[in-house]
Amino acid sequence: MSILLDASARVLIVGITGKFGTFSLKDLAQSGTKVVAGVAFGRGGEAVEGVPVFSSVAAAVAETGANAALIYVPAWGALDAVLETIEAGCPLIAYPGDGLPVLDAMEMRAAAQANGAHLVGPNSPGLVSPGKAKLGFMPSFCYTPGPLGVISRSGSLSYEACFRLSSAGLGQTSVIGIGGDPVRGVNAAEAIALFHDDPETHAIVYLGEIGGSEEYALADYAKRADAKPSAALLVGRTAPVGKKMGHAAAMIGSYAESWAAKVEALGAAGVVIARDLDGLATAASSALTRSMKPA
Amino acid sequence: MHYAFMLLTEAQGKALLRAAAVATPSSQELASLDEARACRLEFPLAVKAQVASGGRGKAGGVRKARSAAELEDAFRGIMGMTFAGEAPSSVLAESWLDIDRELYLAITIDGAAGGFSVLYSPRGGVNIEDGPPPLAYRIGLARNFRAHAFRKLLEPVERDAKLRERIISTARRLLEVATSHECLTVEINPLVALKDGSLVAGDAKIVLDEAASFRKAATAAAIAASHEKADDTIRRCADANLMLVWLDGEIGLISGGAGMTMAAMDAIDGAGSEPACFLDVSGNPTPAGFGLAFDLLDRAPRVKGILISMFGGGLHTDRVAKTLIEILKARTSTKPVVLRLNGTRSDRASEILREAGYGNHATLEAAVTDIVERVGKAA
Repeated sequence: MSILLDASARVLIVGITGKFGTFSLKDLAQSGTKVVAGVAFGRGGEAVEGVPVFSSVAAAVAETGANAALIYVPAWGALDAVLETIEAGCPLIAYPGDGLPVLDAMEMRAAAQANGAHLVGPNSPGLVSPGKAKLGFMPSFCYTPGPLGVISRSGSLSYEACFRLSSAGLGQTSVIGIGGDPVRGVNAAEAIALFHDDPETHAIVYLGEIGGSEEYALADYAKRADAKPSAALLVGRTAPVGKKMGHAAAMIGSYAESWAAKVEALGAAGVVIARDLDGLATAASSALTRSMKPA
Repeated sequence: MHYAFMLLTEAQGKALLRAAAVATPSSQELASLDEARACRLEFPLAVKAQVASGGRGKAGGVRKARSAAELEDAFRGIMGMTFAGEAPSSVLAESWLDIDRELYLAITIDGAAGGFSVLYSPRGGVNIEDGPPPLAYRIGLARNFRAHAFRKLLEPVERDAKLRERIISTARRLLEVATSHECLTVEINPLVALKDGSLVAGDAKIVLDEAASFRKAATAAAIAASHEKADDTIRRCADANLMLVWLDGEIGLISGGAGMTMAAMDAIDGAGSEPACFLDVSGNPTPAGFGLAFDLLDRAPRVKGILISMFGGGLHTDRVAKTLIEILKARTSTKPVVLRLNGTRSDRASEILREAGYGNHATLEAAVTDIVERVGKAA
């Protein structure tokens, strides 16, 4: 199993005729993901690499049975594209773009929730279930199937962290990028709940950072008696207060948003802490070992 | 363009509050000594530095003036200071308030709420951070604000029903400011309760959402103004789509991606040194982008050595290797440089580097150890 995305995925790319859309189409095809349709407004009837292009998401879904969408449009058109995709009945949507106004992120999140859809993003590489399917642009060689459910606020960190986990023989059920912005679709609490319900995920690995409060969702979860074991790596231990470190949400505004406060809360809740990237595989392995002991 | 954040000055923020019918003290913004001399407000006055950074009160940027002579003194004094490196553009002179109590009221973005939260504390003022955390009313979308839900949260902390209702209506107005101007923060600290029971905004901290600049002309203008004022190195990076934050250490770090750049900073700390910067070149990993990164770090006196750490996902590290060799060949600085290119096509990258006489570390940790040792020896 995996979360949200498996081998039955029939992927639709909105913005397929753009440079990035076409690159992503080829990359997904190489990873074994089925891309069944593309959307480019006003270009219905064309094809890209043999994939039919439609002028609306509704038409693409109706004609091809697409059930997962990857949206590559600029920030100014993103809310409209996501709303159209949700309203076309697509249950899973990844919007990787960054620089999205936070008001639009709020509207996307609310619309997805109201329609029972799952939105991954914004400002995220997407979602991958290794060996099954990919809905994003993360480099495929970093991932391998296995028992870890990985949640990450950072794209670049998740690539290298998963590459190290895979190299250490620690594969993943799914890896979800919850994104670097303050308001997101699937958030940490929701991703944790999905991994909790996935029987093949034996332990959760959380890749977090300073700023915001997402990490406390893992601390709350880890305190539950029925929680799966978890490990966490938080980056930004050396980041100064009050400076935005690349991601919109990676800024320490208050003590609760600092590395020390979060690590303390996670540690107290029983999460295995990796102090550095170097210690991640050991921490993940230790969480997995705990999962094999009878409760 | 990416800046720390788009914080308006108090005077700009209060103008937005007044337009939304939130009371502010009688005031005048003074940009010159002549304007200060012509000020006709009644004394005493609060005289406040207008800067886009916090903590000015504790730094001496707020003074009391009881006469025209004191106002002139305060004006000269404040305009001669800098706050977090920023010289004030003006001072704001305001009627001194007859304070009964200082409250705290803010609208913020809250990931857990999926949108806005209202924060309230019955004890506001300069030491807000030392007290218990403010109570949070999580709203999400602005249209989900419900006075009755907020009232229920306020009842245990504010017994005075009249004051409570004033707080609720002010919160709604702040939410209107946050949505209509696309703000990430609209904070009033202190929100002053006067002796007659009315509420007045003693300060205003408003942060605009720079991502909304494509549809908010005022935000675009604020970004342009901040660009003008920004440090030259920060401005050049923003123009080249690099993300730079200067730090206090000695290792010049060039990395890719926000998360991995922070991970590399932490690794440098773990090896007993400190990073001189957060410098993410993933937005422009080209000869121009890397060239600018080297130029800035080679010129910065604090930087004693440079670590380039790139993990290639979509990025082809062999191309990066070729780019770096060209830069290193042309470079005149003698600061030590350590390379670590892993991921996509890194075998080829290592070959290219070896042929040119450069090493490529297999891991981030080995590269960090190497640069920390080299910088230590050079010192």
